[in-house]
Amino acid sequence: MSFEELEHTADVLMRVRGATINEIFADAGRAMFHVMYGPCEERGIERRLSLEADNLESLLIDYLSELLFITEVENTVFCTFDIDVRGNRLSAVLRGEPFDHARHSGGTIVKGVSYFGLEIVKEEEGYVVEIIFDI
Amino acid sequence: MLTGINRLGDLEWEVPIGYVPDMRVPGRFFLSRALAETLEEGAVRQLANVATLPGIVKNSLAMPDIHWGYGFPIGGVAAFDMTEGVISPGGVGFDINCGVRLITTPLTEADLAGKKRELIERLFAAVPTGVGAKSTMRVSNKDLTGVMVDGARWAVERGLGTEVDLARCEGEGAMPGADPEAVSAKARQRGVPQLGTLGAGNHFLEVQVAREIVDPEAAKAFGVTEGQVCFMVHCGSRGLGHQVATDHLRALEGALAKYGIRLPDRQLACAPIASPEGRAYYGGMVCAANYAWANRQVIMHETRKVFANLFGIDYDEMRLIYDVAHNVAKFERHDVDGASMEVCVHRKGATRAFGPGAPGIPREYAAVGQPVIIPGSMGTSSFLLRGTATAMQKTWGSTCHGSGRVLSRTKAKKEVRGKELREHLAGEGILVRAHSDSALAEEAPEAYKPSREVVRVVHEAGLSNIVARLEPLGVIKG
Repeated sequence: MSFEELEHTADVLMRVRGATINEIFADAGRAMFHVMYGPCEERGIERRLSLEADNLESLLIDYLSELLFITEVENTVFCTFDIDVRGNRLSAVLRGEPFDHARHSGGTIVKGVSYFGLEIVKEEEGYVVEIIFDI
Repeated sequence: MLTGINRLGDLEWEVPIGYVPDMRVPGRFFLSRALAETLEEGAVRQLANVATLPGIVKNSLAMPDIHWGYGFPIGGVAAFDMTEGVISPGGVGFDINCGVRLITTPLTEADLAGKKRELIERLFAAVPTGVGAKSTMRVSNKDLTGVMVDGARWAVERGLGTEVDLARCEGEGAMPGADPEAVSAKARQRGVPQLGTLGAGNHFLEVQVAREIVDPEAAKAFGVTEGQVCFMVHCGSRGLGHQVATDHLRALEGALAKYGIRLPDRQLACAPIASPEGRAYYGGMVCAANYAWANRQVIMHETRKVFANLFGIDYDEMRLIYDVAHNVAKFERHDVDGASMEVCVHRKGATRAFGPGAPGIPREYAAVGQPVIIPGSMGTSSFLLRGTATAMQKTWGSTCHGSGRVLSRTKAKKEVRGKELREHLAGEGILVRAHSDSALAEEAPEAYKPSREVVRVVHEAGLSNIVARLEPLGVIKG
């Protein structure tokens, strides 16, 4: 379960690995919030989310786009992502804290999640996906 | 050097049909040998991918700030036939109508002496910036509809600027064809609290001095003189635009099969211009573009107030030169093989650069061409240029939009420390104010192609001509 930022001149390219699809989705969320805010601590915020899409890749983009919407309008920063993906349906429990200018200004705004090159690939020991975030 | 592309001249290159499968037209881009050394193969492939889209006319183009993005390359320009062609959010980007405006003041650099720090602090307090920035304005949902339809005019009618400002914006600060119904409730929710905020990333509010006048005749027409203090606003349509792009990209991606469109990259998702999906994207995109014009108008208003209070100058003495969009799709008439033709021109990280006498530019600039504003990266020069007849012939009246990145943010952060950068720039007389030093490192001048070289290429290729060079004195970073 991990994410790493790869070289990309214009945007942010993240490689996310996980033993399961649930881990991929959880770490993709973690990676995006890392780009936007830096450090995060659980401080009592909990939010539930359910989504459905035609395929896993679209589900991943819809889920990350929904997180962008929620963080902006609800002023929340999430640090943990409990994900349950069954087929092309997702239910998530997100935990985090209220946005705090003093501690969360070290990152940058993610404008969108790109479809470019996005493919969840099955490997011997799990899954990997590369995601471009427009910043 | 890349293989499979042809050099057509000193600064012009061709990507032949066949570079990727299913190309309908060749690709063409403008680049010097020096800039070609940092050209990414991925960017050329994206330029070629655009050439596969239905109804593309003449060429898939890229300006000298070309780099690897998603969908279109950044710096990409393409025009589509209004009946056979498509419209694509991938040719506009998530930040719809990201753009720039430049304003002159009656001050000289000497007038700022001893007050520069206070000026920058006051501007930082007056214009909300960075991640999580919220507007100080009260905007209702009804107001938002007005913003999306009327653009900059909405702000001017509320006293946030003057009627003259509108004439000095591309399209008078609003595009026709806004469809508020094509803007989701989510996009509205994001738009309401953010009007008049700068955003983050490479967006900025910068105090500059016109250091060098290159074209005195055009400079006179634009009203800029050597040594004059100016300010520049660079930002876009904020969360509202991001959400409009996200929503419609999803809808268009789902409609590809319906229209039998096969794509090499799903980010190029598109639909025929006249289809319900294509029309809905256009109507929503126009709303976001108009929001961005209102946004820059509000930021300019707040900045003018700070200057007026601190230096005792009149609000009306701060003259808007022009406001340009560099992420947008527009219906325009162009000359195609001797006949006038309406096309949908996508500019993604490219600026409209209409030449002398072209329709749609302010009458006062008709003889010299429209002003083109190219923002530098933090700490480097910005440029004022003018549009040309050559751009009308070769690039649908388009030119570059900025310097273009060469260093990833991870590398920039490794090589540059934000605090040291801030202190170094202060040593050069450039005051930088941001919420965090780490965000500064990502935007270090080293992370960008030299803007001088990019601008030199468009000047020598004739796509626009340099009028003046502006140096930064102080920057509010998003």
